[in-house]
Amino acid sequence: MTRPLSATLDRRESAGTRSICCTACGHALAAAGHPWKPAATVRERPMAGIAGAPYSTGPRVQLREFFCPGCAALLDTETALPGDPFLTDIVRA
Amino acid sequence: MDPITFEIIRHRLYRVVEEAVITLKHVSGSAITNEGHDLMVSLYRADGSLLMGGVGFLHHLTSAAEACKHIIRTFAGNIQEGDVFLLNDPYTAALHTSDIYLVHPIHHKKKLVAWSACFVHVYDIGAMNPGGFSPESRDIYTEGFSSPGIKLVEKGAVRKDVMALLLNMVRSPEMVALDISSMIACGNVARERMLALIDKYGFKTVDQACRSLIDQSETLLRARLKELPDGRWEARQFLDVQGEVYRVTLAMTKKKDTLTFDFTGSSPQSPYGVNCSYWAGWGALFAPIFPLLCYDITWNEGMIRPITMIAPEGTIVNAKRPAPVSIATVGAIQSVNNVACTCIAKMLSASEKYKDEATAVWHGSHVAIFLFGKNQKGGESIGIMTETFGGAGGARAFADGIDLGGEIPNPISRMANVETVEANFPIRYLFRRRTQDSGGAGRFRGGAGGEYAIVPHDAPDGGIHFVVSGKGIQYPMSEGLGGGYPASPCSYQWVHNNEADRARNVDAKFAQSVDEMPGRKEPISWGVFPLMGEDSLFVRWNGGGGYGDPLVRDPAAVLADVQARVVSREIADRIYGVVLNGEASAVDEPATRAQRKALRAARFAKAAE
Repeated sequence: MTRPLSATLDRRESAGTRSICCTACGHALAAAGHPWKPAATVRERPMAGIAGAPYSTGPRVQLREFFCPGCAALLDTETALPGDPFLTDIVRA
Repeated sequence: MDPITFEIIRHRLYRVVEEAVITLKHVSGSAITNEGHDLMVSLYRADGSLLMGGVGFLHHLTSAAEACKHIIRTFAGNIQEGDVFLLNDPYTAALHTSDIYLVHPIHHKKKLVAWSACFVHVYDIGAMNPGGFSPESRDIYTEGFSSPGIKLVEKGAVRKDVMALLLNMVRSPEMVALDISSMIACGNVARERMLALIDKYGFKTVDQACRSLIDQSETLLRARLKELPDGRWEARQFLDVQGEVYRVTLAMTKKKDTLTFDFTGSSPQSPYGVNCSYWAGWGALFAPIFPLLCYDITWNEGMIRPITMIAPEGTIVNAKRPAPVSIATVGAIQSVNNVACTCIAKMLSASEKYKDEATAVWHGSHVAIFLFGKNQKGGESIGIMTETFGGAGGARAFADGIDLGGEIPNPISRMANVETVEANFPIRYLFRRRTQDSGGAGRFRGGAGGEYAIVPHDAPDGGIHFVVSGKGIQYPMSEGLGGGYPASPCSYQWVHNNEADRARNVDAKFAQSVDEMPGRKEPISWGVFPLMGEDSLFVRWNGGGGYGDPLVRDPAAVLADVQARVVSREIADRIYGVVLNGEASAVDEPATRAQRKALRAARFAKAAE
C-alpha cells in the first residue's frame, strides 16, 4: 500500500515493512515514522543570487536542498543558517 | 430545527456581515480601508464567542472575540442598548494600537443577544511615527493612544468628551473621525440586519440556529482532522530588523481530532515593534487555519475548540508589556501566519484526500511604507502604499501561484491603482510591475511579487516623508513546499539624486527598472526618511513559494514564463534546466534533456565532495 507523506515522498508498506520512499523512484530513505532527512543527499549553498537577481539575501543565509540518493529528485528545501538543525517532520499514522 | 430554516439563518448571518463590510468600505475615506481592505467585521454571541467570521484580515476574528469578552467583564451591568465600545490595547485583545476595534452590543427587547465587532487601521493613532507603524518606538507607551476598553457611544449618542480625547491625540483628526464614523455605521447596519433576522424568525429559533452552527463547525473540523494523519511538523522563519535576527519556530502536532501549535524556541521579545502580544499570536495562528482547513466550514467558535497554542511568555510571539508591538501585523504576526501555513500544508500533503489543498507560503513579508506630509492640494496626507496588499500567491499542489495574488490571511486584499495613489499624494510612479524571477521555482512556480519606484511630484514642500518598517530583506519569508524554492526577499532602496538628469533634460529617458536608475542606491529598511527633490524610492516585494522539484516543471510552462518575462532565460536554464531556441520562441528539447541530466548529475557530484 502506498500513501503520500509529502509532495515528493510516499509511505510504502511491503512484506510487513513500512518505509518512507521517494515518490519518483521508490528509493527507501527511512523506516516509517522516523526522520528521513539524514538519509538524503544534502546540498547547502548561499541563498544570495541562487535563483535570480532578486535573491539579494544576506551572506549567511543558506538554501538547503535534500535530494533522493537514488534519482537526485529534489525532495525538500529549507532556509537555514549554518548549523541549524534540520526541520523534522514525522507522520505517525 | 428543520435544516432549511437552519441554512437560511446561516446564510442570513453571512449576509449581515457582508453588508456591514460594504458599509465600512463605503463610508471610510481611507485608501487602506477601501482600497487595501485592511478591515474586518464579524458577529459574536452574547458571551463574546465568535459566531460568524467575516472577510478582511482574519487575524482579527478571534482577537475581537476576546475584545467582546473583555468588554463584557469590564462593563458588566453597564452595557446598554445603543452603546459602542472602543478597544485597541494590544495587551488586552487588539493586534496593534492603530487597528481599533469598535464593539457593538446588539439588544433585542432589552436583552443582550449578540455583538458585532469591526476594525480598520485608522489614519493615525498618535504614535511617534505617523500612520501607526512606529519603527522608532521602543515601548508601547510611544505607540499612540491605547485603550483597554472605553464607551465611545452611549445609548446611541456619541460621547463627545471621549471622541475629543481621541481626536486630540492623533494627526489628521478629521480623517480619523471618518474612520470612526465608518465603523459606527458598520455596526449600526450589522445591528439592524441582525434584529431584522430575529424579528422574522424569533429569538429562540435564531439562538438555536447559532448554537447549532457553532457545534456544526466543531464537528466538521474534528471530522476533518480525524481524516488527516497524526504527526508532527516543523517550520521556522527569520525576521531581520536593523541587523538583528529573530526566529519564529513552530512544531505543530496533530493527534486524533486536535491540533497543537507549539512556538517554544522562538526568540525572546525584541526592542523593536515587530513583537506580537498573546492575542495577536492567537489570531495570527487562525488566519491560515480558516482558509486552509476550514474553507467549507463556517468560521466560528466551534473551530477554535480543537486548537491549542503554546507560546512562551516574553518571546517574540507572546511579548510582555511594555514591549513595542506597533509593527506586529507585518512582523511576528505574519511569521506566525507563515509557519502555520507551512505546517498545515505539510500535513495536508500527507493525505491522499487533501494533498491538493496544500500550498506554499503566500506573500511572506509585507512591504510597509507610510507616506506623510503636505499634499498637492494644500492638505496633509498620511497613508500606506497599498502595494503591500498586492501580495503573491504560493504555488499549490496542482497549479502555479497567482502573480500579485494577495495573501492567505486576507482573502480580499488588493492594491490601489497608480492613479489613485498619485491623486492623493504628491508623488509620481516611474514604474510598477511584476518582478522577474521573484516567485519561488518549482514544479509549480510561486506567483511573482512586484516592484515600483516613486518620485516627488507637484509637492508644496519639495517632496514628502515616509516611514518604512521593513523585514524580509536578508531572509526569504515565502517558503517553498515539497522541494519548491523559497521566493525572493524584499528590497527598499533610497535612490539619491536619481532624477537629476531628467531635471536638466526633460527628454531624458524614464528609468524602467531599478537597474536603469542612475542615482546612488542606499539600502534602507527601518525608520523615517525624506523623499525630496530629485530622489526616488524603489521597493520590491517578495513572490510566493514554489512547489515541487523545478527540474520536473513542464518545459512549455517555463517557455511561457520566459515569454511573459516572469522568469529570465538564465533561470530557465540554470534552475529549470530548460533551454530555449535563439528567439525564445520554442523549447530546444534535446538541449533541455541534456541540461536537466547535467543538473541532476551535479546534485550527485556535490554530494561526493
